Amino acid sequence: MRTYDDTFSGQKIYPGKGKLFVRSDSKIFRFQNGKTESLFLQRKNPRRIAWTVLCRRQRRKGISEEAAKTRRRRAVKSQRAVVGASLDVIKERRSQRPEARTAARAQAIKEGKEKKAASDSVKKAEKAKNAGKAASGQSTGRVINKQGAKGASAKPRPTTK
Amino acid sequence: MLNVIDNSGAALAECIQVLKMKRAASIGDRIVIVVQKQRSFGPETASSSKSTVSSANKVRRGDIRHAVVVRTAKQVQRKDGSVVKFGDNACVLISKAGEPIGTRLSGVVGRELRERGWGKVLSLAPMHL
Repeated sequence: MRTYDDTFSGQKIYPGKGKLFVRSDSKIFRFQNGKTESLFLQRKNPRRIAWTVLCRRQRRKGISEEAAKTRRRRAVKSQRAVVGASLDVIKERRSQRPEARTAARAQAIKEGKEKKAASDSVKKAEKAKNAGKAASGQSTGRVINKQGAKGASAKPRPTTK
Repeated sequence: MLNVIDNSGAALAECIQVLKMKRAASIGDRIVIVVQKQRSFGPETASSSKSTVSSANKVRRGDIRHAVVVRTAKQVQRKDGSVVKFGDNACVLISKAGEPIGTRLSGVVGRELRERGWGKVLSLAPMHL
């Protein structure tokens, strides 16, 4: 549906409403109603008639309200404490320079790696010890039955012949 | 009194009869007119003697001709609900057979001409509304 704007008042003209006026210099004017047509033919200035869109726009009417509305709709961001970090910690981290922040992060990563390496070495050593024990156990030549090797308790020795 | 908007040579015409009906003429109606004022074309005709009018003029003052109305100051109600009115009354001169006498039109004409079978006049017009 095509709507037009009133050339005088700026109102919307829906199909079937209004009047089209073609002046003899073949300029086209559209009027929403007889009121605007009459005012136009009286050669009134729409900027001086309070209710027209032109006048309202010139005097900045109805613009500030719209601006206020949009401001209200904007989302507000706020900081608050999360599970592992209190508000103070977050603020401190945020206020740090980015270089310091990256350095700290690198440091933390390094530390983590070292810890891991240390734990790994400890584990390795333990493994080696165990392996040595097992090997030594086998070399003694002590006879261990299969069930004993699996962890069964030793058979009680016979008391009589 | 109507303006004549073609280059037939007439400038102002007086309606003396609306053909085929007994009411005021509207856009697309055929009328009989008397040429009341002639148009002077071009600067060379103006610089030459004022009494002789350009030979390009196909009609003279006082001629009785047929014409078709193309613009009315009275508003016209269209089928689609819109209302159109023009700033003046205007016509285009035609021969008895219905062919336009001029070869060019200046200014807009009403769209009603199409429904009334004046396609030739419409095709000469620069714009129709």
